[in-house]
Amino acid sequence: MSQAVPKDHETVRTDSIGAPEAVVAIRDFDLWYGDFQALHNVSLTVPRNQVTALIGASGCGKSTLLRSINRMNDLIPGVHTRGVVTYEGIDLYDGAVDPVEVRRRVGIVFQKPNPFPKTVYDNVAFGPRLNGYRGDLDALVEKSLRSAALWDEVRDKLRQSGLGLSGGQQQRLCIARAMATEPEVILMDEPTSALDPIATDRIEELIHEIKQDYTVIIVTHNMQQAGRVSDRTAFMHLGVLIEEGPTDVIFTNPKHEMTERYISGHFG
Amino acid sequence: MSEAATETGVPDVGANNLLDARERARLAARRRRGAVFRWLTLVPVLLAIALITTLFADIAIGSISWQVIEANNSGQDFAWSEGFRPLGTWQRVVGLELVAQGMSEADIDAFFGDSETVRKFRARNRVELMWSVNGRPLRWLVTSSRDDGVDDLGLFEGWRQRSELLASLEADQLLVLNPWFDVAFLGKNASRTPVMSGLMSALLGSLWVIVLVIVISLPIGVGTAIYLEEYAPDNTVTRFLELNLRNLAGVPSIVYGILGLAVFVRLMNLGPVILAAAMTLSLLILPVVVIASREAIRAVPDSLRQASYGLGATRWQTIGRVVLPNAVGGIVTGIILSVARAIGETAPLLLVGAAAFVPRLPESPLSPYTVIPIQIFSWISENDVEFPHVASAGILVLLVVLLVLYSVAFYVRRRFERTW
Repeated sequence: MSQAVPKDHETVRTDSIGAPEAVVAIRDFDLWYGDFQALHNVSLTVPRNQVTALIGASGCGKSTLLRSINRMNDLIPGVHTRGVVTYEGIDLYDGAVDPVEVRRRVGIVFQKPNPFPKTVYDNVAFGPRLNGYRGDLDALVEKSLRSAALWDEVRDKLRQSGLGLSGGQQQRLCIARAMATEPEVILMDEPTSALDPIATDRIEELIHEIKQDYTVIIVTHNMQQAGRVSDRTAFMHLGVLIEEGPTDVIFTNPKHEMTERYISGHFG
Repeated sequence: MSEAATETGVPDVGANNLLDARERARLAARRRRGAVFRWLTLVPVLLAIALITTLFADIAIGSISWQVIEANNSGQDFAWSEGFRPLGTWQRVVGLELVAQGMSEADIDAFFGDSETVRKFRARNRVELMWSVNGRPLRWLVTSSRDDGVDDLGLFEGWRQRSELLASLEADQLLVLNPWFDVAFLGKNASRTPVMSGLMSALLGSLWVIVLVIVISLPIGVGTAIYLEEYAPDNTVTRFLELNLRNLAGVPSIVYGILGLAVFVRLMNLGPVILAAAMTLSLLILPVVVIASREAIRAVPDSLRQASYGLGATRWQTIGRVVLPNAVGGIVTGIILSVARAIGETAPLLLVGAAAFVPRLPESPLSPYTVIPIQIFSWISENDVEFPHVASAGILVLLVVLLVLYSVAFYVRRRFERTW
């Protein structure tokens, strides 16, 4: 099933993204959990206002790569990295960069909806309040909930607990919460894997809508989903980025043999 | 039906049976065994309920006694509210009684002005709240001097001998049912005379100690728990600390008393004061507070921390806005249960110098003090037929205080209960 890949594998690239379009650029990135190397020399450029999907079998390092972009991996003891991740040309792993600042510019939505046990309003206002938001908080909350296509459903429930919403609504609440800190990039770590098909549909629609304003990077196990929502796709295997390119190329005409086998469901 | 079954070769299992007879018999045996164990698990519960009921009943009964008292007074009794301005003074009621006996204002002033008379009166007379024999409940009755040998009989014993006692009453004698646990009991200070004894100083002492214990152990305990859960690296030192914490929670309380005596009373030269007791009891409950708080903090799902960090919260913001608000129920419950334990502690306080008799009410952390369990202990040690009743009344108060604390803990746990 799993297949050895040379660790120095040269990523197959189609229609490479040039520097001007790039929001996030990962260059020669290695990551270790203690002694275990989870990412091998990954380079990936993420274009602005597009959806980039990371696909691959379980344990291939796609979530690790995603969490490296807003330094969530820093929270795990024993993690160390080598290489560069830039956001708007700034190296996020530079010693002078505060990871807290990084997470304000690069939001994240998790696999399982995890609203705080607070009201809907307080959930969305959590991020802005952390930094002592001075503007009109009500307006910001409404704007974020509208952007997450949740406003009409919760406008009368703003003072009720976020945990009282359905699973799909909770996940959209988490997306609204991430948007309220006004990031430019939103990372999504298998955002629909805990949801039913209808709720999944709504999230996918939402991803389509928000990409005008945000750059989205999404990890997914569901290849149909990657095909539906993403503009570009990157395929990873055992910590190595095998191939990346426009989604239609990856899905219809993959260049690398392993990508083809994964896409056609022969392993993973 | 059975014929048809035989014809088709299907074993006859009856209309409603899914299993054959042997399997049904086995299932029935399994169910019987289950029922037996169900009843067996009920036994300890019933035993516990029976024991607690017995304890309560025994103490409640012990706090009431029949007494034959001298009653060469005016025969008048006074509304019980008269005795409570301020709480627990007997002079007012005695004054009213003296008026009822026909004394003039001047005589009464002279009576209270003579310290020798007052001393004798205090020592040999009593003013109590009791169920009046005249069928008028909750009245003050001023009774006069009494002999050294008091006719003091237990609730049931007295009831059995009631008719004989009533028949043998001399003039000016009364048979009264004396409830030792009454409102005045809380308002009176400790005394050499059982009927004058009250729990005021011990109650205040316990209150002081509780408040100081909370003030000391809450920040230290919760702070330690936060550090160990949220900041400390997982290394040998931390694991060693953790192991010791669990061991400390099991150390006998008398050992903490020895430590408190050596460090707080002697080394820090505090002497036998409230602060030394509070610090000793804080040490005693700290391991449990830390363990309970850690468990409450650990119960907060990691996904919430991740969400908070993901929104750009610092570690401290995450602790303050996400972790602690969601752990507060468990932390508060742990502290209340620990404090309840501290209230009942006697052994370590005997070592750090709680007094058996405190003539003045404690007024600062550096006052000498006594606490409820010590007071009860000293009453029980007294050589007097009436003091055990006073001790019973004290135990009732202690039980009520504990009950209130446990109820608060129960309420807090319900109020902050969360399901993720």
